[in-house]
Amino acid sequence: MAYSDKVIDHYNNPRNVGQLDKASTEVGTGLVGAPECGDVMRLQIRVNPETQVIEEAKFKTFGCGSAIASSSLATEWIKGKTVSDALEIKNTDIVKELSLPPVKIHCSVLAEDAIRAAIGDWKKKNGVAETADATAAAH
Amino acid sequence: MLNVLDSAVPVECWSCSIGQSTTTLFCPHCSKIQPPSGGNYFTVFSLTPHLNIDLAALETEFHRLSRKLHPDRFARATDQEKEWSLADTALLNDAYRTLKEPLRRTEYLLKLEGSEIGEEFAGKDKANPSRVPADLLEEVFELNMQLDEMRMARKVGEEDPALHASLTEAKNKFEAMVNDVDQDLRKEWTNWDQSDQTVRQSSQNKMVSLLDRRRYLSNLLRDVTETLGA
Ligand code: FES
Ligand SMILES: [Zn+2]
Repeated sequence: MAYSDKVIDHYNNPRNVGQLDKASTEVGTGLVGAPECGDVMRLQIRVNPETQVIEEAKFKTFGCGSAIASSSLATEWIKGKTVSDALEIKNTDIVKELSLPPVKIHCSVLAEDAIRAAIGDWKKKNGVAETADATAAAH
Repeated sequence: MLNVLDSAVPVECWSCSIGQSTTTLFCPHCSKIQPPSGGNYFTVFSLTPHLNIDLAALETEFHRLSRKLHPDRFARATDQEKEWSLADTALLNDAYRTLKEPLRRTEYLLKLEGSEIGEEFAGKDKANPSRVPADLLEEVFELNMQLDEMRMARKVGEEDPALHASLTEAKNKFEAMVNDVDQDLRKEWTNWDQSDQTVRQSSQNKMVSLLDRRRYLSNLLRDVTETLGA
């Protein structure tokens, strides 16, 4: 299958690969998998407690090129955003940016799920209630 | 013995107008070829959807139909019939490839019966998008990290015997897990084949989760085997 140039670029030079201290209260960790293929992805964020801005984002993906590119792009996009702005990112935005073909939709879904899971974990750690926004956005 | 589909509405044969069939490739009355119909892979073989398939009978039927669809037999047929014979051949091949392979067959039947699996449903399950328990995901991820470590060490010509041993152990464990899944799947095949609609629904849900689980397991196994074997 032919990958788009943007996928190849992220695949060859993935941004923000790595990990953050899982135990830190400022860090949220999302570990998700794609049941469609069995690939797994971990995405972590470090959130500034004052501003709720995501200052750092790291990922590690064991999966296809599209999943690696999607998570790499996701970390780039969420860095510098507030937690609630980051939740606005949809897998369809990733599909568009990376020109993913229909059979690779789930790879972008995986990245969106990872963002949500990481933010969810951070919220739980910090006693932040799920906002109406986030719940609505989940549909 | 092949079961005959009874539920769909029959269509009259284009040629004799007597033979009626929804899905067979040839008219049951005059034996003329029929266009690829609105049937499914099971009906191509005149089967009702089911999971415990007689593979020998399936193969025999496949060869019989392939011969009947052979281009030589349509040398003097109309262009329309030639075209149908090619389309029917493609359908027959897809149907055979899907039904003879246990996992493909199971997935196909689940989709046919309305289970929400596959690309169209990616991301629909917001409550548990990964659709497996968190501890399985964690284990899979952790083992992938170890594999990564092993590959990295190899690049610089090192091999950690302890890591090798623990990955071999993990491989055996995961192989056993895949076997368990396959056994459970086979149980559900029988359960589904023999049951009514209500039981079928819950059986389908079980099969969907078994297949989900199996994809993670076999993905990891593939990589472990590849890395250990190298
Ligand atoms: S193929 Fe599964 S994440 Fe891309
Ligand atoms: Zn006829």
